[in-house]
Amino acid sequence: MKTVREAFIDVRSLSKKYGKKTVLSDVNLSIGQGEIVGLIGPNGAGKSTLLKAIMGLISYSGDLSIFGHDPFKKRTELLQNMSYIADVASLPGWMKVKDLLSFVADTHSKFDLNHANELLRETPIESNQKVETLSKGMKTRLHLTIILSINTDLLVLDEPTLGLDVMVRREFQDRLVEDYYNQQRSILITTHQIDEVESILTRVLFIKEGRITLDLQKADLKTRYSKLIVKQNVVFAEQQSQPIYQRSLPDQTEMIFKDADASTLSQYGEVVSPSLEDLFVATNS
Amino acid sequence: MKTLQALLRREILEHKNLWRVPLILIVIALLFKLSLLVGNFATDIEIPSQLELDSTIDSALDTVIASALNAMNTFIMWVMFMVAIFYALACLFTERQDQSVLFWRSLPISDGLTVASKLIIALAVIPVTIVVTQAVVAIIFFGIDSFEYLTVYYGQSIALLMKLILWSLLPVVAWCALCSEVANKNPFLLAVIAPVLVILVDKLFLNGVISQTFIINRLTNVGNFDLMPLISGLIFSVVCVVLTVIKRSQRI
Repeated sequence: MKTVREAFIDVRSLSKKYGKKTVLSDVNLSIGQGEIVGLIGPNGAGKSTLLKAIMGLISYSGDLSIFGHDPFKKRTELLQNMSYIADVASLPGWMKVKDLLSFVADTHSKFDLNHANELLRETPIESNQKVETLSKGMKTRLHLTIILSINTDLLVLDEPTLGLDVMVRREFQDRLVEDYYNQQRSILITTHQIDEVESILTRVLFIKEGRITLDLQKADLKTRYSKLIVKQNVVFAEQQSQPIYQRSLPDQTEMIFKDADASTLSQYGEVVSPSLEDLFVATNS
Repeated sequence: MKTLQALLRREILEHKNLWRVPLILIVIALLFKLSLLVGNFATDIEIPSQLELDSTIDSALDTVIASALNAMNTFIMWVMFMVAIFYALACLFTERQDQSVLFWRSLPISDGLTVASKLIIALAVIPVTIVVTQAVVAIIFFGIDSFEYLTVYYGQSIALLMKLILWSLLPVVAWCALCSEVANKNPFLLAVIAPVLVILVDKLFLNGVISQTFIINRLTNVGNFDLMPLISGLIFSVVCVVLTVIKRSQRI
């Protein structure tokens, strides 16, 4: 019997270099059961590289263990417990949907073919169609359907909604939460469209230039950070209550505070909870 | 086992030439047969009536057809060898080109098994297809008598086919699969240019023995089944396959 619950993903001082260029440096990260973690960063920040290391697609230096396995050396074993989408545009276009489904059914013991067919019945995708005849949105939907029908405990998604319109993106998140997520499973998702995933995340990681710059439980966003909107510029005398970020707009100024007393702030103007996007800009500038 | 079956089925679905080419060969055979009956090849030799019952005439005609069929069957074998080579050149390249390798590798299938499935297609499924196609073509020409012809024909040809596979097809397919995995733009060009360069450098600067034994003899002197080229070919093939698997497992 396991008394200590092991982390699904455990990353210790992970680094990755391509030639002389350092893409990841000293990343430490632990993701446990029941978390939906968003890895957020600008293009080229190293999100995809970190995910590729987790997916077992690239070698690295440092320690990385997924369910206690080294993903690069034990990729096949690992994939019994983890499923991922490395690129939504990667389904084989020449294949018919039904052939694709039966291939996955034959090669993955945890794939639930009936469940996949049920999910597909709600879509306009037909089993006799070739994948290449599907629209981009439907390809993504099909890919997600396949991955969601694999009963693994960990799902890793790299920019799953890239290039999709807003309806499909919303649908995608709903499917994630309704069809896959329960308290036993975890999801790690990267994106650069922060507002898109904000509502479903339980935890946020910001990454910049290969380093994790912020690791925040979603619940702490409201309690630890506040956004003050003032009509005129205010100068704060006390050193400990300086805004971490300030943005001047034509008719108002927005300031982001960390661990500030809301009642003190409210003397100066309106106090609201910052969005993830506010926080992202604040911590990255 | 189920995984390997699924992998083999996938290859046959993706690479349609594996069954299209044998079908075309069978259609060609049918056309020849039809031509023999009603077309330009129709025999209008008048056999004198007193000889009609003479079986030697029949057997002489059969011998002519049999030697034509032998030629046709050799042609089938070489065409299918070409199919095997082009299949090997494409099998790992196309999955990288259309990015589907990222999807395939997100399933719990080892790179070794995937590469093995592709080699099985080129070195086992295609040879079986050769034998089956030859049988079908023989039946088209001889009907019920084809059993007799095939016994004689396979008696000589199967052993030769096996030797050709071991001595020549195996190293060529292994090399082409490696090129298919490593080439950035054109695996065919890489597969041809590298041995040509080896031959050129060897002939221009060395004594030419290496390229003669390892490359030229293997491709042109196919009747010569010595032990040494077999061993060197096997070693070369194993190295190519191992490199292919390593390369695939390190690809992003």
